[in-house]
Amino acid sequence: MKNCLFAGLISCILIAGCSNKEDGKDSKTALLKTTDPAPVELVDHPETDSFGHAIKKELAKKKELYDVAVIQSKEETLVVYKVKHLQRFKMKKIEKDMEKYLEGKYPGEDFILSSDYKIFLETVRLKEKIQHKSISKKEAEKEFKDIIELQKEKT
Amino acid sequence: MGKTPKTPEQQKYEKLEKQYETKRPLLKNVIKAFFVGGAICLVGQAVSYYYIYFFNFTEQTAGNPTVATMVFFSMLLTGFGIYDHLGQFGGAGSAVPVTGFGNAVISAAIEHKTEGYVLGVGGNIFKLAGSVIVFGVFAAFVVALIKTLLIQWGVI
Repeated sequence: MKNCLFAGLISCILIAGCSNKEDGKDSKTALLKTTDPAPVELVDHPETDSFGHAIKKELAKKKELYDVAVIQSKEETLVVYKVKHLQRFKMKKIEKDMEKYLEGKYPGEDFILSSDYKIFLETVRLKEKIQHKSISKKEAEKEFKDIIELQKEKT
Repeated sequence: MGKTPKTPEQQKYEKLEKQYETKRPLLKNVIKAFFVGGAICLVGQAVSYYYIYFFNFTEQTAGNPTVATMVFFSMLLTGFGIYDHLGQFGGAGSAVPVTGFGNAVISAAIEHKTEGYVLGVGGNIFKLAGSVIVFGVFAAFVVALIKTLLIQWGVI
């Protein structure tokens, strides 16, 4: 019994150190349920150059996905999606299909696709920061670059 | 060496043995192992999400720290004597996940502590878990070799 208590105490201490993270409402649950964030467009002329909304609308129709987030910057567009649980066996095929579709529809654009929960979470966090105007456009672009870096990391 | 038919004495002994052997509740054990193993994996998933949420780990890279943490947890639990009860109850459900590896390492270390730190703990700590490491590394080597060859030949 004493040992049980001691083990419980240690695990409590281990977990307790991580409760003071500032996060918005959406990013708190972004790992667990559908968030459906609005696309972010970091382009100079949003009226003419942007296609983030169009992509999101198109991809949301896909049966295998249940959540799509898009960040469009000047050079590249990051498309993050969550795959339904039983469809995750076909993750590679879904990614290939989407890449083909996007390249066909928007030739000349650079797309980065990811189905990673972490990238999704970071996208939602960035979107919230931009919405609350807590970071400037330059900072937002830097954070976007960081997300891309994170996405490329494999080990 | 071929199989020789059983002698009458052996057959008689087998009959006797069956009388005294306790019957194992196979289905019950399997269900227990399923739930204990599932619970351990649930904790592992939570740890993995913890690393994704609070640190800069992606789903791909969160695996390594998660494994390390789970092994660490099971080492603590083994040291406090809780994992033994869990293993008694859950059987394979507690041995197959990576926590079973931590249990094998630490229980061997505890057992041989009386023989001294170098020849006792140092010499015996990987008595059980050593085979896991050897065959794990070797299997990984073989798989990587096959994959490299297939990529070189342009199959995949």
